[in-house]
Amino acid sequence: MAVTLDGQNLTLEHVVAVARGGEAVAVAAASYEEMRRSRAWVEDLAEGRRVGPGGEPLVVYGINTGFGSLARVHIPFEQVRELMRNLIRSHAAGIGPSVDADAARAMVLLRANALTRGASGCRPALVDLLVGLLNAGITPVIPSRGSCGSSGDLAPLSHLGLIVSHAVDDPDEETGSAWVDGELVSGREALARRGLVPLTLGPKEGLAINNGAQLTTAIAALAAYDAERLVLLAEVAAAMSIEALRGVTRAFHPAVHALRPYAGALACAANLRRLLDGSGLTDTVPGKVQDAYSLRCTPTVLGAARDTLAHTGSQIRVELNAVTDNPVICLDADEDDAFSAGLFHGEPVGIAADVMKIAVAELASLSERRLFRLTTGNLSARLPASLRRDDRPGVGLFGLQTTAAALVSENKSLAWPASVDSLPTCEDQEDHVAMSTTAARRAGEVVGNARAVIAIELLCAARALRYRLDAEPGVSLGRGTRAALDVLESGLRDDDEAVPSERVTEVLALMGEHTLIDAVEAAAGRLLRVGESP
Amino acid sequence: MITLGERLTIAQVAAVAAGAEVVLGEDARARMTANHADFVAMGSPDVLEMKEAWLTGPRAGEASPWERLVAFVRGHCAGVGAPLPVPAVRAMLACRAQVLAHGLSGCRPEAAEQLVAMLQAGVHPVVPSQGSVGAAGDLAPLAHAARVAFRLGGQAVRDGRLLDSDAAMEGLPEFRPEPKEALSVINGATLTVALAALACHQARGLLRTAEVGLAMSMEVVRANTGMVRFEVLQSRGHGGGVRVGRRLRELLSESTLASVDRRPDAFSIRCAPAVLGSAWDALSHIEEVVERELNGACDNPLVIARELVDGGNFHGAPVALAMDHLKTALTQVASIAERRIFRMTYGVLTGLPSFLVESTGLNSGFMLAQYTAASLVSECKGLSMPASVDAIPTGQHHEDHVSMGPIAARGALRICDALAEVLAIEILVAAQGLEFRMEEAPLAPRVEALRARVREVVPRWREDRVLHLDQQAVAAGVRAGRYED
Repeated sequence: MAVTLDGQNLTLEHVVAVARGGEAVAVAAASYEEMRRSRAWVEDLAEGRRVGPGGEPLVVYGINTGFGSLARVHIPFEQVRELMRNLIRSHAAGIGPSVDADAARAMVLLRANALTRGASGCRPALVDLLVGLLNAGITPVIPSRGSCGSSGDLAPLSHLGLIVSHAVDDPDEETGSAWVDGELVSGREALARRGLVPLTLGPKEGLAINNGAQLTTAIAALAAYDAERLVLLAEVAAAMSIEALRGVTRAFHPAVHALRPYAGALACAANLRRLLDGSGLTDTVPGKVQDAYSLRCTPTVLGAARDTLAHTGSQIRVELNAVTDNPVICLDADEDDAFSAGLFHGEPVGIAADVMKIAVAELASLSERRLFRLTTGNLSARLPASLRRDDRPGVGLFGLQTTAAALVSENKSLAWPASVDSLPTCEDQEDHVAMSTTAARRAGEVVGNARAVIAIELLCAARALRYRLDAEPGVSLGRGTRAALDVLESGLRDDDEAVPSERVTEVLALMGEHTLIDAVEAAAGRLLRVGESP
Repeated sequence: MITLGERLTIAQVAAVAAGAEVVLGEDARARMTANHADFVAMGSPDVLEMKEAWLTGPRAGEASPWERLVAFVRGHCAGVGAPLPVPAVRAMLACRAQVLAHGLSGCRPEAAEQLVAMLQAGVHPVVPSQGSVGAAGDLAPLAHAARVAFRLGGQAVRDGRLLDSDAAMEGLPEFRPEPKEALSVINGATLTVALAALACHQARGLLRTAEVGLAMSMEVVRANTGMVRFEVLQSRGHGGGVRVGRRLRELLSESTLASVDRRPDAFSIRCAPAVLGSAWDALSHIEEVVERELNGACDNPLVIARELVDGGNFHGAPVALAMDHLKTALTQVASIAERRIFRMTYGVLTGLPSFLVESTGLNSGFMLAQYTAASLVSECKGLSMPASVDAIPTGQHHEDHVSMGPIAARGALRICDALAEVLAIEILVAAQGLEFRMEEAPLAPRVEALRARVREVVPRWREDRVLHLDQQAVAAGVRAGRYED
């Protein structure tokens, strides 16, 4: 089922399907009409058919002026093609290793989607070419460092621009690079292999390619998607740990959470109840009235993470369908149809990405404390120390708790907000910038680290539940936790020599393929997603 | 050839990382043999049995010492994330052999020689970069290396090929470790110090490059040279500042563009000796700590006078703190360089064309170079956040305060990377600026030589081209040390 772009209906799921799943992309018929209308406006201007009251040519930023502080310089229309070419080349100023392939593809998709609104004044052919790259499996090389996120991700998008806008007849021209068929080749070679033809950029089309925070949003969107799913996995892991530690489930009672009615906490408590329904291990320790915070406060902490991610996710979802160009062409809005504004500034997504880091770091931090309890003799309701197996030598899962602690600690540094910083750029014309690209990249790292922590908790909790089942044959587990345990036990290779590091990799694979959540929901019913409440 | 067991320097660790040959010294071999004899005389206590009992209590099942050892090493292979680069793995192996070479670990010389043999044969274990808290040392990363060294599985890169440990270790000595040897190969903050040594080595070159960038920029802005006068800097008395002044006077010798009769400059020029100088002062302190650690017995327990003594020498705190310090020092060097780049591209502040290119407007020149630098500097600020201020209880509260040293050291290396790129941009932009100034007066001879060196890899900017390529070309030169003098 192709994803059809119209600038208004792109979802996180679409982004993931195209960026990671290779889903085909199309452009809505109505969008072509919108793009043709604004393109005609730009061409009228560039060909001198739009003039001021005194008959003088209209001056529109970026169409017949220089860029940034150089907007003060007017460029005659006959030099516009050179202006566009220079823009892309001089702005291809990234540095460092490329972003991952999924982020590069998501960036191309988001840029194409933004252009389909018809506010950027480019030819539909430019959007067709961007979509063509995606459908042909051409992944641009986009240096990961060096963007301030304002005015947008100029440098990263200009590296895309090199690939799509070079001259066909100049073999010496630098055309960027791309992966195609698993090979790293020049942009020229990539297009040639797939029969795609580069464009010579006309007026306005340079800024249509490079002005907007699409790399920021691409990375943040993938991180947001992963974070939203990670919340469910964290709840499954928490439920398994709570069960293995013979927890007290009254802390998750709906009457309790109705008294402090955060939507996220209500949802988390409901999911925990669903996962643990039918457990013969919880609420069975005589005289135990309450658990430690890492168990008892799970709805509070994960609920706060849920509420935060719901907000940051909604910011990112707005940006998926936003025009981020400057100037924008709003036909029918005014007599003068071109507006210079600040839609490219990465701040909305930068702040969201920074806040996402905090929410996800806390999710992992709480998980680490639960798995510390699982592996610590005097805290684990008589589980074996370090979850060691008595029938074989070894230190048990001791090492993995240390690993989780290292990942949680690393997240604390990474959670330092990038968007609070700004440095004046471009002769003080661009005097406040977002640093949103850095925020998004760090968010991706935090989510990756948190995924590994949750994998470790799942591994420890599965081991602990197996110990309980062996010690008390016939004891029932929760409907959800039982299903999760089955998936984990059948998904791990039967290999006595496997080391903890390899086990984590195996669990990460089960998490990534949705195997775990699908099986849990088949057994226990649907879990509430981020943003949903009971 | 670098002899382990003798005094080991930061530069030597960097050389081993880059592929230099190593050997275990004769004195070290003798020390180890004698220390191991003491250990045997004590009855070769099974430290793994002791440690296991201490960590997890008595067990029901019986296990042989070898089974226990295998399970111990495998059980500590708990790293996650991308593999460390080969130079880091080499540095770690060398630093661990150096610890054993102290002859206080109760190990036979063969234990150190096994690591040396791997370095010599180019067997580089795949070691995940994340998952160590740097106390009780870098257990996980070292265990991944030990697993290959002891042929207990895992993978290694040899001659550019990823191989299973048995294939990778082909032709190397068979080494069957004793329990104390298995513990001693993995117990210490050795990944931390290995990465720290590499960071210090890079930092020294980068600070010298920063002085070069400063000198070039000073001629571009026609600076007042009063700020590098010996008397001025000596009057405040910080050694680093005095050093920077001396280098700048050398680099700017015979300059007419920069002179004492210019008006006072902005802080990014005038206060550069204070900022760069304080980074030098920090680095000399940090190098001292790191070199001490390179030559320290970072292991536990130690075999001293026929006694098994439990101490805390594995804790990464000394180096963790030093690395967090280095991160801050290097970030401020990047930060002040970026402000000079901003100035040089700002027409009103220099009197030169905006973004240092003719026909601005049609051309954007070096506009984006400054953005790139600003982004890198901002990134460094985030990476400077100290790792060592954190500690999370681990190991069932036995290991209840940890150093986070490897996180600090990895952060320092990331900042070195970004700083190299910022300095490359300063040098690239300054070379262009100097070409406008050459029309006013000749450049100082050293500065002219540097400008010419830039022009060997990138031509003067006359019309817009792909800036990325210029930046990468000069950054490669900075990393190779081509702009240190």
